[in-house]
Amino acid sequence: MNIPKIKVPTDTLWEIGPIHISNAMFTTWIVMLLLLVFAYFVKRNAGVRPSRLQVLFEVILEYILEKATQAFGTEERAKKYFPLLFTIFLFLLIANQLSLVPLIAGTTLNGADLFRLPASHYSLPLTFALLCLLLAHGIAIAQSPIRYIGNYFKFHLFFKMKSIKDLGMVLIEVFLGLMDIIGEVAKLVSVATRLFGNLFAGGVVISIISGLTIFTSFIVPMPFVILGILSGAVQAFVFTILLTIYMSGIADSTRKPNEVEKQLA
Amino acid sequence: MEVEAAKLIGAGLAMGLGAIGPGIGEGFVGGHAMEAMARNPKMADKIFTNMIVAIALAESTGIYSLVIALIILFVF
Repeated sequence: MNIPKIKVPTDTLWEIGPIHISNAMFTTWIVMLLLLVFAYFVKRNAGVRPSRLQVLFEVILEYILEKATQAFGTEERAKKYFPLLFTIFLFLLIANQLSLVPLIAGTTLNGADLFRLPASHYSLPLTFALLCLLLAHGIAIAQSPIRYIGNYFKFHLFFKMKSIKDLGMVLIEVFLGLMDIIGEVAKLVSVATRLFGNLFAGGVVISIISGLTIFTSFIVPMPFVILGILSGAVQAFVFTILLTIYMSGIADSTRKPNEVEKQLA
Repeated sequence: MEVEAAKLIGAGLAMGLGAIGPGIGEGFVGGHAMEAMARNPKMADKIFTNMIVAIALAESTGIYSLVIALIILFVF
């Protein structure tokens, strides 16, 4: 029984002034470097007659673009948000499979682990989700500020009432509008926690199983590794699709009037 | 009861009770997807990818309880 210590916070590798370079950050840079190298090789041979790597990238790109088009309505609108979302997807797709690379699991530097899956530290999913949602909110505010505020504080509905019979409906609508503010925060936390939890749990399960006895450290963890490959790819996809749907929802909220407003108008 | 023991019991309860819902939900998703695939084998690929996404969404409450269990064990 030598189960490795399970660490929720990251280890600090180096300190540059006040900035702590953690192992999750270091691994993030490696993934970024890998992405740049991939991009270079795909771009260098890009052409009408595609290479194998280009075909692979085009299949993935078209699949995500199709989903984004469904969410945003038109392809033109989807393409405005697409570069950000697809970059996040590609990053997570590579970052989640990084534990398959040999020597990445056990390498240590001055007693601290040198590598750690970027998404198994809560900062990274939270930052991605925060970036996307804040961007969508910012665009919605820039498009029509009054309408955006009116989506959450629906007190203007009181002045649109025709008779006292509508009062119940309007009160519920105003309450729901205020609840939507909590809902926006819940979206952020839930989408970030899902990615973090899956990646972290995958690592914990494998390290516990392989640390149980000497017999379970070779073949027994293999099903869990395969499950980790699957869940890493699926979670990268789900994270991107959820962010796409949330962003399109926020961007659309300033365009269409909702049901109650239609009835009152 | 000692605080350490209470923490361990709490983490175990959080994880165990939190895993009930995702189990039921994933069973529903998988079962109905199988039914749909058996009825319409041509659509099997599309249904399968949608099933995987739905399962990943259904297991999110289990993941939340895991995070709560981790917070109980390692943060407090």
